[in-house]
Amino acid sequence: MWKQMIRPLFKNPKFIVGLTIFLLIVLMALIGPVVYPKDPTSFAGMPEQPPSKDYPLGTDTYGGDLLAKLLNGTRSSLYIGFLVAIISMIIGLLVGIFSAMKGGIVDELLMSFTNIVLTIPSILLAILIASYLRIRSLEVIAVILGVLTWPWFARAIRAQLMSLINREYVYLSRLAGYSDFRLAIEDLIPAIATYAFMAFILFINGGILGEAGLSLIGLGPTKGVTLGVVLQWAVLMEAVRRGLWWWFIPPGVVIVLLTSSLLIITTAMDEVFNPKLRER
Amino acid sequence: MPKSALKPFLKYIGRRLFFLVLTYLVAITIIFILPRAIPGNPLATLLQRIAVQGAANPETVSNVHKALMEEFDIDKPIIIQYLRFIGRLFTGNLGTSIHYYPKKCLDVLAPFIPWTLFLLIPATLTAWIIGNTLGAVAGNKRGTWIDNIVLNSSLVISQIPYYWLGMLLIYTFAVKLNIFPNQGGYSQGIIPSLNIKFILDVLHHYILPFLSIVIAAIGGWAIGTRLLVIYELDADYTVFAVNLGMRDSTVFKYVFRNILLPQITGLALNLGSALGGALITELIFNYPGTGYILFRALSTLDYPLIQAIFVILIVAVYLANFIVDFVYAIVDPRIRLGQGEGS
Repeated sequence: MWKQMIRPLFKNPKFIVGLTIFLLIVLMALIGPVVYPKDPTSFAGMPEQPPSKDYPLGTDTYGGDLLAKLLNGTRSSLYIGFLVAIISMIIGLLVGIFSAMKGGIVDELLMSFTNIVLTIPSILLAILIASYLRIRSLEVIAVILGVLTWPWFARAIRAQLMSLINREYVYLSRLAGYSDFRLAIEDLIPAIATYAFMAFILFINGGILGEAGLSLIGLGPTKGVTLGVVLQWAVLMEAVRRGLWWWFIPPGVVIVLLTSSLLIITTAMDEVFNPKLRER
Repeated sequence: MPKSALKPFLKYIGRRLFFLVLTYLVAITIIFILPRAIPGNPLATLLQRIAVQGAANPETVSNVHKALMEEFDIDKPIIIQYLRFIGRLFTGNLGTSIHYYPKKCLDVLAPFIPWTLFLLIPATLTAWIIGNTLGAVAGNKRGTWIDNIVLNSSLVISQIPYYWLGMLLIYTFAVKLNIFPNQGGYSQGIIPSLNIKFILDVLHHYILPFLSIVIAAIGGWAIGTRLLVIYELDADYTVFAVNLGMRDSTVFKYVFRNILLPQITGLALNLGSALGGALITELIFNYPGTGYILFRALSTLDYPLIQAIFVILIVAVYLANFIVDFVYAIVDPRIRLGQGEGS
């Protein structure tokens, strides 16, 4: 496993760059609020100050410390991203595996359902659901986004399993009397593990970007600071047109660094594991 | 088109139409269920709030209350509510706005919709064309410096949200350099009319929001097309063509036709999220489109107007989907000539 899978990854420069950036941001989100323990929601000093020694990223209209907001916001955004990924992954895997293993009418029903959810624009539906909820915790936002973003993954998993399920080794396991559950755990899931891992990473991206979008339209979490919430207030207080660059540039930079580093990791994994894409 | 070929074509189009109508039904069912199923019943809260306000301004408020009761059929059984809701939507009655009472939702929305179409359609198509071309060139020249530049910059650029790029563009070109106006769809004080001055003014305001959507969307298409080209260049038919000694440009023509199809489907699937991104971009630019009115409706809790916006947006996405299906059927000879089912 080490020789086949992990080592080639660390020989890929793209993977190393992506992983380093991502780990640095995670580290910043986990340790940052401890090292820089200012309260992101309280009044810290003079409003709308540019970055200085006391306020490394300046302050906002309410005198809030923007570095504290950025560190805590990154943490909450990552938390939402991971929750979204876990929810989408579970639904997608269940639907995909059931569809492929049961076949027939179960498959047809599940796939019609999947296609319908896939065609309904998920961000619009997320906005609509959020608009009816007066109190939205980080978890609620994650659930709204998670239950809407799994369909492409379920379809891809089903397609991959369909090609696996007719192979000889699976056939032999069936002859040996494996239950469906044991078949899924031992024969099928390992074969789609790397693909599922890459999808998990993309789901994190979707969660972080989805949260930012919801927040900007005014439907983000009602409690807590996220990167989207910082951007939302920057827009509401006209930070862009008044030239308060320290307010809206850092959260955007963190979002882009986070999501693009994750995308670079998946691209690199694809290049390493997919024989067709391997550098020649 | 010979008559024998028309039948599979119609069958395909008919199947797609059926699927989209079915999906539309599901979507409006969700729109119907949500306000009634969510804990705390937002609809009841809203009616209560209006009833309380009734003490201050009895006449208009009781009119709003009555109109709402009538439109949501609160006093009737749920199944009747549902059937009447669907019936109204199919006859194009989208209800009455609370905030803009007594205006109909459709009349409130009408002036905003063309602005969104005017922004979204050209921007999405431009990004699709440029992105696919870049991706195709990169995939074809795989491993060269062109490929590296296109791939690596696309990986980063595709992750920039439209709206944040919009903020950067406003800050750079409107606030710092002062070349472009910093907000709106046209200058205040100009009366919208079809003269050259107004058109130039609109275009001047159009450039930044247009660019923020185009630039942010290019990367995703480029990455997708590049991958598809790499797969196709490895396919048996390409290897065969190369071994026959065909010119590279001829081979590439075949490859290009084959990558076009999945990217057309991709365009259809991408429309919803592109629309969502464009709505928020409009908000950043104070652009007088659907995103702006949606934000107003959300902040005033004007549920009938919110519902109406969603019905219109979803219909628009499905119509666009259907047009894409239609184009797909024409471009794909397997569907056009009725060989195989396509995808």
